[in-house]
Amino acid sequence: MAFRPKRALAVFWKDFLDLRKNVGLLVSMMVLPAVMVLVPIGVVWTYVRTPDHADLRSVALFYDPTLPLGASAARFLIDKTLTDWFGMFLVMPVFVPILIASQSVAGEKERRTLEPLLASPVTAAELVTGKSLAALVPSVAITWTAFVVFCVGVDIVAWPLVKMPLMPNALWTFGVFVIAPLFAFFGNGVAVLISARVSEARMAQQLSALVVLPIVGMVGGQVAGVLKAGFGYYLLQGAVVLVLDALLLWASIRLLDRERLVSRWG
Amino acid sequence: MSGIHVQDLGKRFGDRVAVEALSFHVRSGEVFGLLGPNGAGKTTTVRMLTGLLQPTEGEATVWGHRVDRDGEPLRKVVGLLTEQPGLYDRLTARENLRFFMKLHELDEAAAWPRARHYLERFGLGGREEEPVGGFSKGMRQKLAIVRTLVHDPKVIFLDEPTSGLDPESARTVRDAVAELASEGRTIVLCSHNLAEVERLCERVAVVKRRLLAMGPVRELRHAGQALEVRVEGEAERFRVALAQLPFAPNVLAEGPKLRVMLADDAQAPDVVACLVGAGARVHSAVPTQRPLEEVYLELLREGRG
Ligand SMILES: Nc1ncnc2c1ncn2[C@@H]1O[C@H](COP(=O)(O)OP(=O)(O)OP(=O)(O)O)[C@@H](O)[C@H]1O
Ligand SMILES: [Mg+2]
Repeated sequence: MAFRPKRALAVFWKDFLDLRKNVGLLVSMMVLPAVMVLVPIGVVWTYVRTPDHADLRSVALFYDPTLPLGASAARFLIDKTLTDWFGMFLVMPVFVPILIASQSVAGEKERRTLEPLLASPVTAAELVTGKSLAALVPSVAITWTAFVVFCVGVDIVAWPLVKMPLMPNALWTFGVFVIAPLFAFFGNGVAVLISARVSEARMAQQLSALVVLPIVGMVGGQVAGVLKAGFGYYLLQGAVVLVLDALLLWASIRLLDRERLVSRWG
Repeated sequence: MSGIHVQDLGKRFGDRVAVEALSFHVRSGEVFGLLGPNGAGKTTTVRMLTGLLQPTEGEATVWGHRVDRDGEPLRKVVGLLTEQPGLYDRLTARENLRFFMKLHELDEAAAWPRARHYLERFGLGGREEEPVGGFSKGMRQKLAIVRTLVHDPKVIFLDEPTSGLDPESARTVRDAVAELASEGRTIVLCSHNLAEVERLCERVAVVKRRLLAMGPVRELRHAGQALEVRVEGEAERFRVALAQLPFAPNVLAEGPKLRVMLADDAQAPDVVACLVGAGARVHSAVPTQRPLEEVYLELLREGRG
Protein backbone atom coordinates (compact mmCIF):
# COMPACT_ATOMS: atom_id res chain seq x y z
CA MET A 1 0.00 0.00 0.00
CA ALA A 2 1.74 3.07 -1.26
CA PHE A 3 1.50 6.33 0.62
CA ARG A 4 -0.18 8.88 -1.64
CA PRO A 5 0.60 12.44 -0.46
CA LYS A 6 -2.30 13.76 -2.53
CA ARG A 7 -4.81 11.85 -0.44
CA ALA A 8 -3.18 12.98 2.80
CA LEU A 9 -3.39 16.54 1.50
CA ALA A 10 -7.05 16.03 0.63
CA VAL A 11 -7.71 15.13 4.27
CA PHE A 12 -5.72 18.17 5.38
CA TRP A 13 -7.67 20.38 2.95
CA LYS A 14 -11.02 19.13 4.23
CA ASP A 15 -10.14 19.40 7.92
CA PHE A 16 -8.67 22.84 7.51
CA LEU A 17 -11.77 24.01 5.65
CA ASP A 18 -13.95 22.51 8.37
CA LEU A 19 -11.88 24.18 11.10
CA ARG A 20 -12.25 27.57 9.44
CA LYS A 21 -16.01 27.17 9.56
CA ASN A 22 -16.09 25.89 13.14
CA VAL A 23 -16.58 29.14 14.99
CA GLY A 24 -17.00 27.52 18.41
CA LEU A 25 -13.70 25.70 18.13
CA LEU A 26 -11.93 28.77 16.77
CA VAL A 27 -13.07 30.82 19.75
CA SER A 28 -11.92 28.22 22.28
CA MET A 29 -8.63 27.99 20.39
CA MET A 30 -8.04 31.74 20.66
CA VAL A 31 -8.68 32.02 24.41
CA LEU A 32 -5.50 30.18 25.34
CA PRO A 33 -3.06 32.27 23.24
CA ALA A 34 -4.71 35.43 24.53
CA VAL A 35 -4.11 34.36 28.15
CA MET A 36 -0.60 33.14 27.36
CA VAL A 37 0.33 36.54 25.95
CA LEU A 38 -1.58 38.94 28.20
CA VAL A 39 -0.71 37.44 31.61
CA PRO A 40 3.10 37.78 31.38
CA ILE A 41 2.81 41.22 29.81
CA GLY A 42 0.64 42.22 32.78
CA VAL A 43 3.20 40.82 35.24
CA VAL A 44 6.10 42.62 33.54
CA TRP A 45 4.04 45.79 33.59
CA THR A 46 3.54 45.60 37.38
CA TYR A 47 7.28 45.26 37.91
CA VAL A 48 7.97 48.18 35.59
CA ARG A 49 5.40 50.37 37.31
CA THR A 50 6.94 50.06 40.81
CA PRO A 51 10.59 49.15 40.19
CA ASP A 52 11.69 50.46 43.56
CA HIS A 53 9.14 48.74 45.75
CA ALA A 54 10.99 47.26 48.69
CA ASP A 55 9.07 43.97 48.57
CA LEU A 56 10.38 43.25 45.07
CA ARG A 57 13.83 42.86 46.52
CA SER A 58 12.71 40.30 49.10
CA VAL A 59 10.92 38.31 46.38
CA ALA A 60 14.03 38.42 44.21
CA LEU A 61 16.22 37.32 47.12
CA PHE A 62 13.89 34.38 47.71
CA TYR A 63 14.77 33.09 44.25
CA ASP A 64 18.40 34.16 44.24
CA PRO A 65 20.01 34.94 47.62
CA THR A 66 23.22 35.91 45.79
CA LEU A 67 21.57 38.85 44.01
CA PRO A 68 24.11 41.74 44.22
CA LEU A 69 23.07 44.77 46.23
CA GLY A 70 23.25 47.19 43.34
CA ALA A 71 21.25 45.00 40.91
CA SER A 72 17.69 46.02 40.02
CA ALA A 73 15.26 43.60 41.63
CA ALA A 74 12.60 44.53 39.08
CA ARG A 75 14.90 43.72 36.21
CA PHE A 76 15.83 40.42 37.85
CA LEU A 77 12.16 39.50 38.30
CA ILE A 78 11.30 40.49 34.75
CA ASP A 79 14.04 38.22 33.42
CA LYS A 80 12.90 35.43 35.71
CA THR A 81 9.28 35.85 34.61
CA LEU A 82 10.28 35.69 30.96
CA THR A 83 12.36 32.56 31.53
CA ASP A 84 9.72 30.82 33.65
CA TRP A 85 6.82 31.75 31.45
CA PHE A 86 8.24 29.88 28.52
CA GLY A 87 7.40 26.68 30.40
CA MET A 88 3.79 27.85 30.66
CA PHE A 89 3.78 29.04 27.07
CA LEU A 90 4.48 25.44 26.00
CA VAL A 91 0.98 24.52 27.16
CA MET A 92 -0.31 26.26 24.03
CA PRO A 93 1.45 24.16 21.39
CA VAL A 94 0.37 21.03 23.30
CA PHE A 95 -3.20 22.02 23.93
CA VAL A 96 -4.27 23.57 20.63
CA PRO A 97 -3.53 20.41 18.58
CA ILE A 98 -5.42 18.42 21.22
CA LEU A 99 -8.48 20.62 20.65
CA ILE A 100 -8.24 20.26 16.89
CA ALA A 101 -7.22 16.60 16.61
CA SER A 102 -9.85 15.33 19.06
CA GLN A 103 -12.51 17.08 17.03
CA SER A 104 -11.21 15.83 13.75
CA VAL A 105 -10.62 12.16 14.61
CA ALA A 106 -13.19 11.31 17.29
CA GLY A 107 -15.50 13.87 15.66
CA GLU A 108 -15.53 11.80 12.46
CA LYS A 109 -16.79 8.83 14.43
CA GLU A 110 -19.26 10.85 16.44
CA ARG A 111 -20.79 12.32 13.31
CA ARG A 112 -20.64 9.01 11.44
CA THR A 113 -18.46 10.39 8.67
CA LEU A 114 -15.63 7.94 9.28
CA GLU A 115 -17.23 5.01 7.50
CA PRO A 116 -17.66 6.66 4.08
CA LEU A 117 -14.18 8.11 4.50
CA LEU A 118 -12.66 4.70 5.17
CA ALA A 119 -14.58 3.26 2.23
CA SER A 120 -12.54 5.56 -0.01
CA PRO A 121 -9.02 4.59 -1.13
CA VAL A 122 -7.37 6.66 1.63
CA THR A 123 -5.08 4.56 3.85
CA ALA A 124 -4.86 4.80 7.64
CA ALA A 125 -1.40 6.34 7.35
CA GLU A 126 -2.60 9.00 4.90
CA LEU A 127 -5.58 9.75 7.08
CA VAL A 128 -3.49 10.17 10.22
CA THR A 129 -0.94 12.28 8.34
CA GLY A 130 -3.57 14.59 6.86
CA LYS A 131 -5.33 14.98 10.19
CA SER A 132 -2.06 15.57 12.05
CA LEU A 133 -1.08 18.26 9.58
CA ALA A 134 -4.48 19.86 10.00
CA ALA A 135 -3.85 20.02 13.75
CA LEU A 136 -0.15 20.90 13.67
CA VAL A 137 -0.08 23.63 11.05
CA PRO A 138 -2.67 25.87 12.79
CA SER A 139 -1.19 25.15 16.23
CA VAL A 140 2.33 26.08 15.24
CA ALA A 141 1.07 29.11 13.32
CA ILE A 142 -0.90 30.25 16.37
CA THR A 143 2.09 29.68 18.66
CA TRP A 144 4.38 31.71 16.41
CA THR A 145 1.86 34.50 16.02
CA ALA A 146 1.34 34.61 19.77
CA PHE A 147 5.12 34.73 20.18
CA VAL A 148 5.39 37.78 17.92
CA VAL A 149 2.59 39.57 19.79
CA PHE A 150 4.21 38.58 23.09
CA CYS A 151 7.62 39.99 22.07
CA VAL A 152 6.15 43.28 20.92
CA GLY A 153 3.97 43.59 24.03
CA VAL A 154 6.78 42.81 26.49
CA ASP A 155 9.17 45.21 24.77
CA ILE A 156 6.63 48.02 24.84
CA VAL A 157 5.77 47.67 28.55
CA ALA A 158 9.35 47.00 29.64
CA TRP A 159 10.87 49.91 27.66
CA PRO A 160 10.47 52.63 30.34
CA LEU A 161 12.58 50.57 32.74
CA VAL A 162 15.12 48.71 30.62
CA LYS A 163 15.39 51.08 27.65
CA MET A 164 16.23 48.21 25.29
CA PRO A 165 14.34 45.37 23.64
CA LEU A 166 14.26 42.28 25.89
CA MET A 167 12.55 40.04 23.41
CA PRO A 168 13.06 37.99 21.35
CA ASN A 169 15.87 36.46 23.31
CA ALA A 170 17.85 33.32 22.44
CA LEU A 171 15.92 31.04 24.82
CA TRP A 172 12.51 32.03 23.50
CA THR A 173 13.54 32.02 19.86
CA PHE A 174 15.06 28.58 20.09
CA GLY A 175 12.21 27.38 22.28
CA VAL A 176 9.42 28.64 20.07
CA PHE A 177 10.91 27.46 16.81
CA VAL A 178 12.41 24.15 17.93
CA ILE A 179 10.91 22.97 21.21
CA ALA A 180 7.31 24.18 20.68
CA PRO A 181 6.82 22.15 17.45
CA LEU A 182 8.05 19.05 19.31
CA PHE A 183 5.43 19.71 21.98
CA ALA A 184 2.77 20.24 19.30
CA PHE A 185 3.67 16.90 17.76
CA PHE A 186 3.29 15.33 21.19
CA GLY A 187 -0.14 16.86 21.88
CA ASN A 188 -1.35 15.82 18.46
CA GLY A 189 -0.03 12.28 18.79
CA VAL A 190 -1.73 11.78 22.14
CA ALA A 191 -5.03 13.17 20.86
CA VAL A 192 -4.96 11.05 17.70
CA LEU A 193 -4.25 7.83 19.60
CA ILE A 194 -6.89 8.52 22.23
CA SER A 195 -9.42 9.65 19.62
CA ALA A 196 -8.99 6.37 17.81
CA ARG A 197 -10.08 4.51 20.92
CA VAL A 198 -13.04 6.59 22.12
CA SER A 199 -16.18 7.52 20.25
CA GLU A 200 -16.77 11.09 21.40
CA ALA A 201 -14.73 14.18 20.67
CA ARG A 202 -15.37 15.61 24.11
CA MET A 203 -14.08 12.52 25.86
CA ALA A 204 -11.00 12.45 23.63
CA GLN A 205 -10.36 16.09 24.45
CA GLN A 206 -10.71 15.63 28.18
CA LEU A 207 -8.49 12.56 28.33
CA SER A 208 -5.82 14.07 26.10
CA ALA A 209 -5.84 17.32 28.02
CA LEU A 210 -4.46 15.47 31.05
CA VAL A 211 -1.01 15.59 29.44
CA VAL A 212 -1.00 19.34 30.11
CA LEU A 213 -0.87 18.67 33.86
CA PRO A 214 2.82 17.70 34.11
CA ILE A 215 3.76 20.84 32.18
CA VAL A 216 1.75 23.05 34.51
CA GLY A 217 3.17 21.12 37.47
CA MET A 218 6.72 21.89 36.37
CA VAL A 219 5.93 25.59 36.09
CA GLY A 220 4.53 25.34 39.62
CA GLY A 221 7.87 23.92 40.68
CA GLN A 222 9.64 26.85 39.06
CA VAL A 223 7.46 29.38 40.83
CA ALA A 224 7.96 27.56 44.14
CA GLY A 225 11.69 27.90 43.57
CA VAL A 226 12.17 24.11 43.50
CA LEU A 227 13.05 23.96 39.81
CA LYS A 228 15.35 26.47 38.22
CA ALA A 229 14.41 27.10 34.60
CA GLY A 230 16.97 28.05 31.99
CA PHE A 231 18.22 27.08 28.57
CA GLY A 232 19.51 23.68 29.66
CA TYR A 233 16.31 22.95 31.56
CA TYR A 234 14.11 23.56 28.51
CA LEU A 235 16.54 21.72 26.28
CA LEU A 236 16.12 18.71 28.54
CA GLN A 237 12.31 19.02 28.36
CA GLY A 238 12.59 19.20 24.58
CA ALA A 239 14.78 16.10 24.49
CA VAL A 240 12.34 14.14 26.65
CA VAL A 241 9.43 15.16 24.44
CA LEU A 242 11.42 14.23 21.34
CA VAL A 243 11.76 10.71 22.70
CA LEU A 244 8.05 10.63 23.55
CA ASP A 245 7.29 11.84 20.02
CA ALA A 246 9.27 8.97 18.56
CA LEU A 247 7.35 6.53 20.79
CA LEU A 248 4.02 8.03 19.76
CA LEU A 249 4.91 7.78 16.09
CA TRP A 250 5.90 4.17 16.55
CA ALA A 251 2.69 3.44 18.46
CA SER A 252 0.52 5.17 15.85
CA ILE A 253 2.06 3.19 13.02
CA ARG A 254 1.53 -0.03 14.93
CA LEU A 255 -1.91 0.69 16.33
CA LEU A 256 -3.79 2.66 13.73
CA ASP A 257 -5.08 0.34 11.07
CA ARG A 258 -8.49 0.66 9.51
CA GLU A 259 -10.09 -2.11 11.48
CA ARG A 260 -9.04 -0.57 14.76
CA LEU A 261 -10.48 2.77 13.74
CA VAL A 262 -13.67 0.92 12.92
CA SER A 263 -13.82 -1.29 15.98
CA ARG A 264 -15.89 1.18 17.96
CA TRP A 265 -18.71 1.36 15.47
CA GLY A 266 -22.07 0.63 17.00
CA MET B 1 -12.93 -11.14 -13.16
CA SER B 2 -16.09 -9.12 -12.81
CA GLY B 3 -18.94 -9.54 -10.36
CA ILE B 4 -18.87 -10.51 -6.73
CA HIS B 5 -17.96 -13.95 -5.47
CA VAL B 6 -18.56 -14.77 -1.83
CA GLN B 7 -17.51 -18.14 -0.41
CA ASP B 8 -18.21 -19.27 3.18
CA LEU B 9 -17.76 -15.74 4.42
CA GLY B 10 -17.99 -15.23 8.16
CA LYS B 11 -17.36 -12.56 10.77
CA ARG B 12 -17.29 -12.86 14.51
CA PHE B 13 -16.84 -10.05 16.98
CA GLY B 14 -15.35 -11.69 20.05
CA ASP B 15 -17.64 -14.64 20.55
CA ARG B 16 -20.63 -13.05 18.83
CA VAL B 17 -21.13 -14.46 15.36
CA ALA B 18 -22.46 -11.69 13.09
CA VAL B 19 -22.24 -13.57 9.79
CA GLU B 20 -21.47 -17.19 9.05
CA ALA B 21 -21.07 -19.50 6.06
CA LEU B 22 -22.35 -16.93 3.60
CA SER B 23 -21.92 -17.80 -0.07
CA PHE B 24 -23.35 -16.05 -3.08
CA HIS B 25 -22.43 -14.71 -6.45
CA VAL B 26 -23.49 -11.45 -8.06
CA ARG B 27 -23.15 -11.07 -11.83
CA SER B 28 -21.93 -7.95 -13.50
CA GLY B 29 -24.85 -5.59 -14.13
CA GLU B 30 -27.11 -7.34 -11.68
CA VAL B 31 -29.12 -5.74 -8.90
CA PHE B 32 -28.82 -8.05 -5.93
CA GLY B 33 -30.78 -7.70 -2.72
CA LEU B 34 -29.62 -8.60 0.77
CA LEU B 35 -32.80 -8.95 2.72
CA GLY B 36 -32.89 -9.52 6.44
CA PRO B 37 -34.17 -8.22 9.77
CA ASN B 38 -32.29 -5.91 12.15
CA GLY B 39 -29.03 -7.42 13.26
CA ALA B 40 -29.02 -9.98 10.44
CA GLY B 41 -25.49 -9.05 9.45
CA LYS B 42 -26.25 -7.05 6.28
CA THR B 43 -24.10 -4.09 7.23
CA THR B 44 -21.34 -6.37 8.46
CA THR B 45 -21.40 -8.22 5.13
CA VAL B 46 -21.24 -4.99 3.16
CA ARG B 47 -18.39 -3.73 5.33
CA MET B 48 -16.45 -6.90 4.63
CA LEU B 49 -17.10 -6.61 0.90
CA THR B 50 -15.86 -3.01 0.85
CA GLY B 51 -12.70 -3.79 2.80
CA LEU B 52 -13.77 -2.00 5.99
CA LEU B 53 -13.82 -5.13 8.12
CA GLN B 54 -11.63 -8.20 7.80
CA PRO B 55 -13.61 -11.43 7.44
CA THR B 56 -12.78 -13.98 10.12
CA GLU B 57 -13.72 -16.86 7.83
CA GLY B 58 -14.04 -17.61 4.14
CA GLU B 59 -13.16 -15.36 1.28
CA ALA B 60 -14.69 -13.00 -1.22
CA THR B 61 -13.65 -11.17 -4.35
CA VAL B 62 -15.18 -8.02 -5.77
CA TRP B 63 -14.21 -7.31 -9.35
CA GLY B 64 -11.30 -9.67 -8.94
CA HIS B 65 -10.00 -8.00 -5.79
CA ARG B 66 -9.70 -10.10 -2.66
CA VAL B 67 -11.54 -8.27 0.11
CA ASP B 68 -9.10 -9.43 2.78
CA ARG B 69 -5.93 -8.05 1.22
CA ASP B 70 -6.54 -5.86 -1.87
CA GLY B 71 -8.01 -3.01 0.18
CA GLU B 72 -6.86 -0.10 -1.90
CA PRO B 73 -7.64 -1.32 -5.44
CA LEU B 74 -10.89 -2.75 -4.07
CA ARG B 75 -12.03 0.57 -2.66
CA LYS B 76 -11.31 2.24 -5.99
CA VAL B 77 -13.90 0.12 -7.78
CA VAL B 78 -16.61 0.11 -5.13
CA GLY B 79 -18.98 2.81 -3.99
CA LEU B 80 -20.58 2.49 -0.56
CA LEU B 81 -23.66 4.29 0.59
CA THR B 82 -23.44 3.84 4.34
CA GLU B 83 -26.43 3.46 6.64
CA GLN B 84 -25.92 7.06 7.78
CA PRO B 85 -25.19 9.62 5.07
CA GLY B 86 -22.05 10.73 6.95
CA LEU B 87 -21.70 14.18 5.37
CA TYR B 88 -19.71 17.09 6.73
CA ASP B 89 -22.36 19.51 7.95
CA ARG B 90 -20.27 22.66 7.93
CA LEU B 91 -19.08 22.06 4.38
CA THR B 92 -21.21 22.81 1.35
CA ALA B 93 -22.52 20.10 -0.93
CA ARG B 94 -19.84 20.99 -3.45
CA GLU B 95 -17.07 20.79 -0.86
CA ASN B 96 -18.33 17.43 0.35
CA LEU B 97 -18.19 16.04 -3.17
CA ARG B 98 -14.86 17.70 -3.89
CA PHE B 99 -13.31 16.02 -0.88
CA PHE B 100 -14.18 12.60 -2.22
CA MET B 101 -12.98 13.50 -5.70
CA LYS B 102 -9.65 14.41 -4.14
CA LEU B 103 -9.55 11.19 -2.11
CA HIS B 104 -10.05 9.28 -5.34
CA GLU B 105 -7.42 11.45 -7.01
CA LEU B 106 -9.84 12.31 -9.80
CA ASP B 107 -9.37 14.99 -12.37
CA GLU B 108 -11.98 17.35 -10.96
CA ALA B 109 -12.72 19.00 -14.29
CA ALA B 110 -13.65 15.60 -15.67
CA ALA B 111 -15.51 14.40 -12.59
CA TRP B 112 -17.80 17.39 -12.13
CA PRO B 113 -20.06 16.86 -15.15
CA ARG B 114 -21.04 13.44 -13.84
CA ALA B 115 -21.58 14.75 -10.32
CA ARG B 116 -23.63 17.63 -11.68
CA HIS B 117 -25.72 15.25 -13.75
CA TYR B 118 -26.71 13.31 -10.63
CA LEU B 119 -27.23 16.47 -8.58
CA GLU B 120 -29.67 17.69 -11.22
CA ARG B 121 -31.29 14.31 -11.44
CA PHE B 122 -31.92 14.25 -7.69
CA GLY B 123 -33.21 17.79 -7.56
CA LEU B 124 -30.15 19.16 -5.80
CA GLY B 125 -29.09 21.34 -8.72
CA GLY B 126 -28.47 24.91 -7.58
CA ARG B 127 -28.01 23.88 -3.93
CA GLU B 128 -24.30 23.07 -4.27
CA GLU B 129 -23.10 26.11 -2.39
CA GLU B 130 -25.24 25.56 0.70
CA PRO B 131 -23.84 23.99 3.87
CA VAL B 132 -25.11 20.44 4.12
CA GLY B 133 -26.15 21.06 7.74
CA GLY B 134 -29.23 22.80 6.40
CA PHE B 135 -30.33 19.94 4.16
CA SER B 136 -33.34 17.75 4.86
CA LYS B 137 -32.91 14.04 5.51
CA GLY B 138 -33.91 13.15 1.96
CA MET B 139 -31.55 15.72 0.45
CA ARG B 140 -28.69 14.39 2.54
CA GLN B 141 -29.37 10.85 1.48
CA LYS B 142 -29.45 11.89 -2.16
CA LEU B 143 -26.24 13.86 -1.81
CA ALA B 144 -24.65 10.83 -0.16
CA ILE B 145 -25.67 8.77 -3.19
CA VAL B 146 -24.06 11.31 -5.50
CA ARG B 147 -20.92 11.10 -3.36
CA THR B 148 -20.99 7.32 -3.76
CA LEU B 149 -20.92 7.81 -7.53
CA VAL B 150 -18.23 10.48 -7.97
CA HIS B 151 -15.58 7.96 -9.00
CA ASP B 152 -17.90 6.04 -11.30
CA PRO B 153 -17.68 2.79 -9.27
CA LYS B 154 -18.11 -0.60 -10.88
CA VAL B 155 -20.07 -1.94 -7.92
CA ILE B 156 -22.35 0.04 -5.67
CA PHE B 157 -23.31 -1.10 -2.20
CA LEU B 158 -26.41 0.61 -0.87
CA ASP B 159 -27.05 -0.02 2.81
CA GLU B 160 -30.71 0.74 3.45
CA PRO B 161 -30.90 3.71 1.11
CA THR B 162 -34.48 4.60 2.01
CA SER B 163 -34.59 3.98 5.74
CA GLY B 164 -35.90 6.95 7.65
CA LEU B 165 -37.13 8.79 4.58
CA ASP B 166 -40.67 9.96 4.04
CA PRO B 167 -42.56 8.13 1.27
CA GLU B 168 -41.86 10.80 -1.31
CA SER B 169 -38.13 10.99 -0.67
CA ALA B 170 -37.96 7.23 -0.47
CA ARG B 171 -39.56 7.13 -3.86
CA THR B 172 -37.08 9.51 -5.47
CA VAL B 173 -34.25 7.50 -4.00
CA ARG B 174 -35.81 4.27 -5.29
CA ASP B 175 -36.26 5.82 -8.73
CA ALA B 176 -32.64 6.87 -8.62
CA VAL B 177 -31.54 3.33 -7.79
CA ALA B 178 -33.67 2.00 -10.63
CA GLU B 179 -31.98 4.46 -12.93
CA LEU B 180 -28.54 3.40 -11.81
CA ALA B 181 -29.58 -0.18 -12.44
CA SER B 182 -30.73 0.72 -15.93
CA GLU B 183 -27.28 2.14 -16.58
CA GLY B 184 -26.04 -1.42 -16.20
CA ARG B 185 -24.34 -0.93 -12.86
CA THR B 186 -23.82 -3.76 -10.44
CA ILE B 187 -25.70 -2.99 -7.27
CA VAL B 188 -26.01 -4.70 -3.93
CA LEU B 189 -28.97 -3.37 -2.01
CA CYS B 190 -29.43 -4.06 1.69
CA SER B 191 -32.90 -3.65 2.97
CA HIS B 192 -35.61 -4.95 5.19
CA ASN B 193 -38.20 -3.36 2.97
CA LEU B 194 -39.77 -6.13 0.94
CA ALA B 195 -41.56 -3.93 -1.55
CA GLU B 196 -38.33 -2.14 -2.30
CA VAL B 197 -36.38 -5.33 -2.85
CA GLU B 198 -39.17 -6.75 -4.92
CA ARG B 199 -39.28 -3.71 -7.14
CA LEU B 200 -35.55 -3.16 -7.60
CA CYS B 201 -33.77 -6.48 -7.33
CA GLU B 202 -33.47 -9.30 -9.79
CA ARG B 203 -32.30 -11.75 -7.17
CA VAL B 204 -32.32 -11.64 -3.41
CA ALA B 205 -30.57 -13.42 -0.60
CA VAL B 206 -32.55 -13.68 2.59
CA VAL B 207 -30.08 -13.59 5.43
CA LYS B 208 -30.22 -13.87 9.17
CA ARG B 209 -26.65 -14.36 10.24
CA ARG B 210 -26.47 -17.05 7.57
CA LEU B 211 -28.12 -17.50 4.21
CA LEU B 212 -31.75 -18.64 4.52
CA ALA B 213 -32.76 -18.57 0.87
CA MET B 214 -31.60 -17.12 -2.38
CA GLY B 215 -33.00 -16.76 -5.85
CA PRO B 216 -34.93 -14.54 -8.20
CA VAL B 217 -37.76 -12.76 -6.43
CA ARG B 218 -40.21 -14.68 -8.62
CA GLU B 219 -38.81 -18.01 -7.51
CA LEU B 220 -38.90 -17.12 -3.87
CA ARG B 221 -42.56 -16.38 -4.26
CA HIS B 222 -42.93 -19.68 -6.04
CA ALA B 223 -41.28 -21.44 -3.14
CA GLY B 224 -44.06 -19.90 -1.18
CA GLN B 225 -47.09 -21.33 -2.88
CA ALA B 226 -50.08 -22.45 -0.97
CA LEU B 227 -53.28 -24.31 -1.57
CA GLU B 228 -56.42 -22.60 -0.37
CA VAL B 229 -59.08 -25.13 0.44
CA ARG B 230 -62.68 -24.45 1.42
CA VAL B 231 -64.38 -27.22 3.36
CA GLU B 232 -67.74 -27.55 5.00
CA GLY B 233 -67.78 -26.60 8.67
CA GLU B 234 -64.80 -25.77 10.87
CA ALA B 235 -61.55 -26.34 8.99
CA GLU B 236 -59.59 -26.58 12.21
CA ARG B 237 -60.50 -30.23 12.82
CA PHE B 238 -58.56 -31.40 9.71
CA ARG B 239 -55.28 -30.03 10.94
CA VAL B 240 -54.31 -33.30 12.64
CA ALA B 241 -54.99 -35.34 9.52
CA LEU B 242 -52.87 -33.02 7.39
CA ALA B 243 -50.00 -33.28 9.86
CA GLN B 244 -49.89 -37.03 9.07
CA LEU B 245 -48.88 -36.32 5.46
CA PRO B 246 -45.30 -37.35 4.64
CA PHE B 247 -44.36 -33.71 3.89
CA ALA B 248 -46.17 -32.37 7.01
CA PRO B 249 -47.16 -28.99 5.59
CA ASN B 250 -47.68 -25.83 7.58
CA VAL B 251 -51.37 -25.16 7.90
CA LEU B 252 -53.45 -22.11 8.73
CA ALA B 253 -57.11 -22.66 9.51
CA GLU B 254 -59.70 -19.95 9.67
CA GLY B 255 -63.43 -20.70 9.69
CA PRO B 256 -64.11 -23.00 6.76
CA LYS B 257 -60.83 -22.05 5.06
CA LEU B 258 -57.53 -23.88 5.15
CA ARG B 259 -54.30 -22.52 3.87
CA VAL B 260 -51.79 -25.29 3.27
CA MET B 261 -48.21 -24.28 2.48
CA LEU B 262 -46.63 -26.35 -0.26
CA ALA B 263 -43.07 -26.88 -1.33
CA ASP B 264 -44.17 -28.18 -4.68
CA ASP B 265 -47.27 -28.14 -6.96
CA ALA B 266 -47.28 -31.92 -6.99
CA GLN B 267 -48.31 -32.01 -3.34
CA ALA B 268 -51.73 -30.46 -4.03
CA PRO B 269 -53.56 -33.70 -4.97
CA ASP B 270 -52.20 -35.42 -1.84
CA VAL B 271 -53.60 -32.63 0.31
CA VAL B 272 -57.04 -32.93 -1.26
CA ALA B 273 -56.97 -36.72 -1.04
CA CYS B 274 -55.96 -36.54 2.60
CA LEU B 275 -58.77 -34.13 3.43
CA VAL B 276 -61.34 -36.27 1.63
CA GLY B 277 -59.99 -39.33 3.39
CA ALA B 278 -60.48 -37.57 6.70
CA GLY B 279 -64.12 -37.00 5.83
CA ALA B 280 -63.98 -33.45 4.59
CA ARG B 281 -66.45 -32.16 2.03
CA VAL B 282 -64.21 -30.06 -0.22
CA HIS B 283 -65.92 -27.14 -1.98
CA SER B 284 -62.88 -25.73 -3.68
CA ALA B 285 -59.09 -26.05 -3.77
CA VAL B 286 -57.24 -23.13 -5.34
CA PRO B 287 -53.48 -22.85 -5.69
CA THR B 288 -52.27 -19.36 -4.72
CA GLN B 289 -49.02 -17.53 -4.44
CA ARG B 290 -48.25 -16.29 -0.99
CA PRO B 291 -47.26 -12.70 -0.55
CA LEU B 292 -43.50 -12.32 -0.34
CA GLU B 293 -43.90 -11.03 3.16
CA GLU B 294 -45.34 -14.31 4.35
CA VAL B 295 -42.57 -16.29 2.67
CA TYR B 296 -40.01 -14.01 4.21
CA LEU B 297 -41.41 -14.24 7.70
CA GLU B 298 -41.62 -18.00 7.44
CA LEU B 299 -38.00 -18.17 6.29
CA LEU B 300 -37.02 -16.13 9.29
CA ARG B 301 -39.01 -18.38 11.62
CA GLU B 302 -37.36 -21.47 10.18
CA GLY B 303 -33.97 -19.84 10.40
CA ARG B 304 -34.35 -18.88 14.01
CA GLY B 305 -31.54 -19.84 16.37
N1 LIG C 1 -18.25 -3.47 15.53
C1 LIG C 1 -19.00 -4.42 16.10
N2 LIG C 1 -18.64 -4.97 17.26
C2 LIG C 1 -19.40 -5.94 17.82
N3 LIG C 1 -20.54 -6.42 17.30
C3 LIG C 1 -20.95 -5.92 16.14
C4 LIG C 1 -20.21 -4.89 15.46
N4 LIG C 1 -20.87 -4.58 14.32
C5 LIG C 1 -21.95 -5.37 14.29
N5 LIG C 1 -22.02 -6.18 15.37
C6 LIG C 1 -23.07 -7.19 15.64
O1 LIG C 1 -23.23 -7.99 14.51
C7 LIG C 1 -24.60 -8.31 14.28
C8 LIG C 1 -25.00 -7.89 12.87
O2 LIG C 1 -25.06 -6.48 12.80
P1 LIG C 1 -25.29 -5.69 11.44
O3 LIG C 1 -25.16 -4.26 11.75
O4 LIG C 1 -24.41 -6.23 10.40
O5 LIG C 1 -26.79 -6.04 11.10
P2 LIG C 1 -27.76 -5.42 10.01
O6 LIG C 1 -28.33 -6.54 9.26
O7 LIG C 1 -27.06 -4.37 9.24
O8 LIG C 1 -28.89 -4.77 10.91
P3 LIG C 1 -29.76 -3.44 10.69
O9 LIG C 1 -30.92 -3.81 9.85
O10 LIG C 1 -30.19 -3.09 12.08
O11 LIG C 1 -28.88 -2.42 10.08
C9 LIG C 1 -25.36 -7.60 15.38
O12 LIG C 1 -25.62 -8.55 16.39
C10 LIG C 1 -24.42 -6.55 15.87
O13 LIG C 1 -24.63 -6.27 17.22
MG1 LIG D 1 -27.37 -2.46 8.90
